[in-house]
Amino acid sequence: MAKVHEITVWARGVIMDKEGRDVINIFAQAAQMEGKFAQAFDNYEDLPDRVLVTVRKYVRLSDEEIEHKYVYTNDKPEVVVITEATIVKGIDILRGMEKGGTLIINTNRSIDDMLKLIPNANLLGTVATVDADAITGVRTVDFSGSEGGVDTSGIGKGIASPMTGAIAKVTGMIKKENLAKIVSDVSGMERGYNEVKIKKLG
Amino acid sequence: MAKAKMLTGCRAAAEGAKAAEVEVICSYPIRPYTAIMMELAKMVANGELNAEFVHGEGEHAQLSVVLGACAAGARAYTGSSGVGVTYAMELYSPMAGGRYPVQMTIADRTLDPPGDFGSEHTDAMCTRDNGWLLGWACSPQEVYDNTLIAYRVGEDHRVMLPQMVCQDGYFISHIPDKVTLGEMSQVKEFLPPYRPIGPLSLTHPVSHGPQIRPDQGAPMDAMRAQTFLAVPKVIEEATADFNRIFGRNYDPFVEQYKLADAEIAFFIMGAHSNTCRTAVDRLRKQGVKAGMARLRWVRPWPTHQLATALGHVKAIGVVETSTSYGGAMRGGNLIHELRASLYDLDERPLVTSFMGGLGGETIWPADFDNMAKVLTQAVKEKKVRNYVQWLGM
Repeated sequence: MAKVHEITVWARGVIMDKEGRDVINIFAQAAQMEGKFAQAFDNYEDLPDRVLVTVRKYVRLSDEEIEHKYVYTNDKPEVVVITEATIVKGIDILRGMEKGGTLIINTNRSIDDMLKLIPNANLLGTVATVDADAITGVRTVDFSGSEGGVDTSGIGKGIASPMTGAIAKVTGMIKKENLAKIVSDVSGMERGYNEVKIKKLG
Repeated sequence: MAKAKMLTGCRAAAEGAKAAEVEVICSYPIRPYTAIMMELAKMVANGELNAEFVHGEGEHAQLSVVLGACAAGARAYTGSSGVGVTYAMELYSPMAGGRYPVQMTIADRTLDPPGDFGSEHTDAMCTRDNGWLLGWACSPQEVYDNTLIAYRVGEDHRVMLPQMVCQDGYFISHIPDKVTLGEMSQVKEFLPPYRPIGPLSLTHPVSHGPQIRPDQGAPMDAMRAQTFLAVPKVIEEATADFNRIFGRNYDPFVEQYKLADAEIAFFIMGAHSNTCRTAVDRLRKQGVKAGMARLRWVRPWPTHQLATALGHVKAIGVVETSTSYGGAMRGGNLIHELRASLYDLDERPLVTSFMGGLGGETIWPADFDNMAKVLTQAVKEKKVRNYVQWLGM
């Protein structure tokens, strides 16, 4: 069985549910355009409509058909994406990550400031920040289809576009050209790609 | 052939109902099945589906509405999850006894207490003795397919029974997987329009659901039991037609995976069978002769098919995803009926059970390895140490 790459996206309930879901749907669609097998789904327990609670969204990628497609959660994320910076405080966002993983945060703070808030940052090989809010200033909220990750309509109108641009640059797992075919806000995506700050850790 | 799309089980169920051109839908929200009704509401609003969409004030009302609609001759559709399924309990027997072939779609959810969104089969399993057809899918594709197969079987005049089409909440209902939707011509060839028997009518008045005398009860119950004897043949015909028209390969009752030369086997239904299948492959590579029997219908229970499929196996582990507190085997439900199905064999397999996936917990690949160890040990010792083991405890 080919390796399955796990990407976990953290967002906040209701107000950022759509943005978090857009990130995974865009990611999975872009990967599928390259012939990869990809899944995108919400963490079901996190989903209920409680405002601001942390919600997890998952992507899985593989070069072959993903066998354990109904295993519940990403237990070993290689890449963790934080769509709202305060989530890093008080939650073990890197839980399950093996050494050398990647963390991408939507924030206007510096990478070093963010690292101070992450006690197990020694797991990281790469950390990156992108100020997605400054780039688009838009967080879309959509209550329809907020169950089951089914809503793929009009994706990437808000911060998900620069976030996925940044993900493409940092991870190389998806291509910018494919993202441009998917997201509504192409220039926002490109700014995310160009403006993301990356730091390699030892 | 239509191209496969990535759809959740919820979407697949809604697409199945749309393909069946359901005429009356009654909804009431409860996770995780809610998205099925959300999808159908959109289809009706967008004019893709010409159906009466009724908002019930609860699950009891939902079932009452579709009973009435079906009695008036409509193809009716409803659904629920978890405690929603049990809230409608009063209606199940009248619906089946009155021979209303309504379809209820279920995305399983654990019963309270405490509140838990996770999948567990106990909700729909509670209804199993009320005379409905009851079966589980193991993928969004099978949800779509079973929606059509169940209507075809339920509406057959030899059957005329309501159907529960079940899928595990979250695992199937919320995780998208490849689904190939049928062409309308295929659906039309497979599923004829619903032909009611003695529907309510203004011009030809009839009575439905009258009161009876006690001495009329037993004959009526016997007739209901007799009806179920005719169902397996109808399921076989419908599955064969479905396989032919849609190009699938379903066994009508029991998916048999690497069972022919198996020494140990898992007996399972629903979502976790997907992980089980990969576990069987892995065990085979390690030289363990493992196999899997996946149940597609709980009602009618395929007694003889199971005896044939599993009779030669040395030890069977029933993977239970429902509870039967205080039951004969101290754990779940399926083991009772499986052991009963094997009882008349000259040489019976050893049978034990594993309680897993309760409360919506994942059954991990490693859990199947551990179950296989227990079964291999049972074969060696020629006995099972326990009727039931709780995974992860």
